[in-house]
Amino acid sequence: MSARRIVLTSGKGGVGKTTTTANLGAVLAKRGHRVALVDADIGLRNLDLVLGVEKRIVFDLVEVVEGRCQLRQALIKDKRLENLSILPAAQTRDKTAISELQMAKVVQELGELCDFVLIDCPAGIEHGFRNAIAGASEAIVVTTPEVSAIRDADRVIGKLHERGLPVRLIVNRLRPEMVRAGDMLSVEDVTDILSAELLGIIPEDEEVIDTTNKGEPIVLQPDSRLAVIYDKIARRLEGDLVPFTTLRAPGFFGRLFGKAS
Amino acid sequence: MIQREEAPAVSALPRRRGRAIVITSGKGGVGKTTTTANTGAALAATGATVVLVDADVGLRNLDIVMGLEARVRHHVLDVLEGKATLEEALVTDKRVPALRLLAAAQTREKDDVDTAAFRDLVGSLRERFDYVLIDCPAGIEKGFANAIAGADEAIIVCTPEVSAVRDADRVVGLLGDERSVKLIVNRLRPALVRRGKMLSVDDVNAILRLPLLGVITDAPDVIVSTNRGEPVALDAASSVGASYREIAQRIVGTLSGPPTVPHEKSFFDKLFGSRK
Repeated sequence: MSARRIVLTSGKGGVGKTTTTANLGAVLAKRGHRVALVDADIGLRNLDLVLGVEKRIVFDLVEVVEGRCQLRQALIKDKRLENLSILPAAQTRDKTAISELQMAKVVQELGELCDFVLIDCPAGIEHGFRNAIAGASEAIVVTTPEVSAIRDADRVIGKLHERGLPVRLIVNRLRPEMVRAGDMLSVEDVTDILSAELLGIIPEDEEVIDTTNKGEPIVLQPDSRLAVIYDKIARRLEGDLVPFTTLRAPGFFGRLFGKAS
Repeated sequence: MIQREEAPAVSALPRRRGRAIVITSGKGGVGKTTTTANTGAALAATGATVVLVDADVGLRNLDIVMGLEARVRHHVLDVLEGKATLEEALVTDKRVPALRLLAAAQTREKDDVDTAAFRDLVGSLRERFDYVLIDCPAGIEKGFANAIAGADEAIIVCTPEVSAVRDADRVVGLLGDERSVKLIVNRLRPALVRRGKMLSVDDVNAILRLPLLGVITDAPDVIVSTNRGEPVALDAASSVGASYREIAQRIVGTLSGPPTVPHEKSFFDKLFGSRK
């Protein structure tokens, strides 16, 4: 059985591609799958920081492509999850350092070592985007409930469909209380515009900023509500029919004294 | 690779020469477009003539943030390819007549834009406007090279996050020594900084070491104003708007001294105190 090769992309930057890649990868690994994460953002890599492995990088994606090392030598094994490894991007090179064909070959080769390959795509739709989608067999588009993010996602979904890639959607950083106040687009608003199957809804959580800065995926925190949400996304990826729970905004007193559900 | 800008010929000494400022970051989603729109609106509100150029060919958004998407008829590539004149392509803002938008092409690629031609376009805009603000795309590919080509000043927008700081640091290196580079720290949450859960402005600038132009706090009204296409800088009641107006004054030179770094309001201030 060949691995699932999934690119996480968005068009717009800063919507949470890297955070989603890290957390989804960690959850899939926790569920027993062998997972490899690829940072395709050559020159502006960040997946290593989000996973806290930046000091352990010896070789990178470009060096693999250029034959300076073996793929296995460049893979960094996560210290918390033995099933999870990361192929970092080069930081001092640019995206034209590798071709689509070379990228596809690396992803193919990775696929022989594991069950899931998750590719963290750079922002934009330039060379780096074309590289990132080159080896993928399916795509997850990450978007936020903002007009500009949705417009960019729409453009990217068009490009993914041209390639014949199945596309699923994660709506990230939803603030239910803003949706309720009519100040933010709802998930229904987003899925009405974008022609892609919904894979997950992730609420805004300020803890993500802190865990990202510290290099600890939030799904590994013991009491994280996001761990439950990512676990559901992983199960949907596995093929389970997991119903979507409505994200309820806590009322004023809930916010003051209670915990968000 | 990024080409170093050549020194301008002495013969090109202008009759009148506006300032060309690129707003860039490396990392996406840190607020480049929002900063461009609001800084531009605030500059125009001081009486200066301002043009905003969307350099994000293929993924344009500045028109949406300005609420001008329905009025865009021509774009940068139409001008570069001679399909429209500059005058035809410039969209006048609904609220501030001294503010214009030059939209990016949505159905084209960044590789379609010739870097030298884009630099020349910015040059001719500088002869007509006091300020040319260029909204740079995320990343450091061709779109970035195009966006910075005609600018002799840069504003780095950075959020207090390790990844954003790392990307910004890389971009500062690529901008070279010929440009004046200043920093806006965006989406600061003073409450999180105080609890040690977010980098402070000092933490960010310990790495970047740039002159600080302004600090913008994270406020839901920015999301609302962006979705509605109404720059918050024009809202006299908004404290975030006031921060943008201060940034504009610092750019013009009517305000000096370091920007104030907002501190957290106490729990009771938030419940019962005045809105500031």
